[in-house]
Amino acid sequence: MRQRTRKAFLGILFLSPALVMVSIFFLYPLFKVVMMSFQKWQVLGASEFIGLENYKEALSDNEFWKSLWNTTIYAAIVTPMIFLPAIFLATALKKTSKKTKFFRTVFFLPYAISFVAASYMWKWIYNDMYGLLNYALISMNLISQPINWLGGTWSARVMVSIMVAWKTLGFSMIIIIAGLQGISPAIYEAARIDGAKKWQEFRFITLPLLRPTIILALIISIAGSFKAFDHFYIMTQGGPLKTTQTIVMYINKIAFDYYNLGLGAAISVIFLGILLFISYMQLKAGGFSNE
Amino acid sequence: MSKTVLIILIIASFLFLLAIYWTIFTSFKPPQEVLTYPPRFITTNPTLMQYEKLFTASDGIFLRYIGNTFLLCGLSIALVLVQSIFGGYSLSKLSFKGSNVIFLIILSIIMVPYQSLLIPLYDLLNKMGLLDTIPGLALIYSTFYMPFCLFMMKNYFSSLPVALRESALIDGASELKILLKVHLPLALPAVATTVVYVFLQTWNDFILSLIFTSSSDVRNVQVGIMNFATSRFTQDWGLINAGATFSIIPSILIFLLLQKYYVQGMTSGTTKG
Repeated sequence: MRQRTRKAFLGILFLSPALVMVSIFFLYPLFKVVMMSFQKWQVLGASEFIGLENYKEALSDNEFWKSLWNTTIYAAIVTPMIFLPAIFLATALKKTSKKTKFFRTVFFLPYAISFVAASYMWKWIYNDMYGLLNYALISMNLISQPINWLGGTWSARVMVSIMVAWKTLGFSMIIIIAGLQGISPAIYEAARIDGAKKWQEFRFITLPLLRPTIILALIISIAGSFKAFDHFYIMTQGGPLKTTQTIVMYINKIAFDYYNLGLGAAISVIFLGILLFISYMQLKAGGFSNE
Repeated sequence: MSKTVLIILIIASFLFLLAIYWTIFTSFKPPQEVLTYPPRFITTNPTLMQYEKLFTASDGIFLRYIGNTFLLCGLSIALVLVQSIFGGYSLSKLSFKGSNVIFLIILSIIMVPYQSLLIPLYDLLNKMGLLDTIPGLALIYSTFYMPFCLFMMKNYFSSLPVALRESALIDGASELKILLKVHLPLALPAVATTVVYVFLQTWNDFILSLIFTSSSDVRNVQVGIMNFATSRFTQDWGLINAGATFSIIPSILIFLLLQKYYVQGMTSGTTKG
């Protein structure tokens, strides 16, 4: 018995650094953001409880809905741009050899680069006067005039998404490769004996067995898209006319430019709810819920 | 691998590397060759002028940013290692009543984006007097980068046999000794993954440094690049590309060196369960 209490004591002791940090910098702020969202929060002086006023203000605010819409559209554009190539590359590179290892490293490499550096690298490529992209397209006679890629709403969304796909698809590829390597080769052999064609193998074996892996990679990727901040902040500053302002940019503006902390807290809570809902739906779709 | 696939892969990797190459190449061009149309693909006189400007502008503030970021990385890595090594060991070998609930709470941090907690975190750091300080920022980094590492460390310790601890106990070793001398040396791959992961996250962070710091003694390299890019009326692309190039060297180096561990840790974290 004494042995057991000693073990439990040590268990708590060893866990305490993480516990202390989590309590102070996660649980307390989580509690606090909910509290603040019901308050008219004053930087100086007493804060008063105002019920759902902040939420009403957020939901009747056009800019809130616009930012949410911009973020959703961006997620809808960038997700297929990441996953279609990632699935293709993963299938092509699933066997391990010197050659595939080289390609994997090349496609995974941009993942190590920061969003800030990547944003400037691509902003330079997209530059309307001296950029590589306009030059390439003009010399191939695909366009006649240089285009201001980040100046239009839709082209800005697509061009930022291309940068993000370049930077992050290697990560999805690596996860999918790990999933592919987990599928037993015996299943493919059996299918081949039954005369299955390559696309049938992909459609009826690879895709269904890979579903949990793809869902997991999707959750990480879509949650990441909803958290987008750095690249829009740098490449478009939310423009033109706030059409690429994301929800996190909006929270940042309300809270740290306008100092409306109560409203900012309410939007943060809504944002958190949306992200948890997305993860929950995808976990359910992946069949993880009964585990 | 069929010929067509191989050709697609070669073209794709060429385009992938082109973006990186173009930035590095631009940073070595003399200023008068940066803004030219058509763009020049060869330069007859490569130069370090852009880097000289980068390191001497505003009394060498860029080196300050780099130093700050290394300091932030070191602190965050140390804090995450302490939390995840001891925490992971506790959860796998010293589990007690309620430890599962604690594990779930820690894992839930992965689901809750810190972007939704910026306001209370700002308020908290302000009250603790840690706003605009390196330790303050490192404390926040380490809390939010820790759960994945602790999860990985727990998995790693769980894969080691129970007998390892028991026989050491019989030999009269203390728990601390069993962890540090017996288990930790076997968990070095997980430690390596933690180091790469936390380094990359911290080095590449932008939003937390942007919001929680304001003085150049504390700001990190990413915010530093933005300051360089926006402080002048016209964007100095030679300088920006030099800053970008210099800032990606550490991340790419550590990534290439420890890629094996990083991929192992990432995939064991995401495909298990």
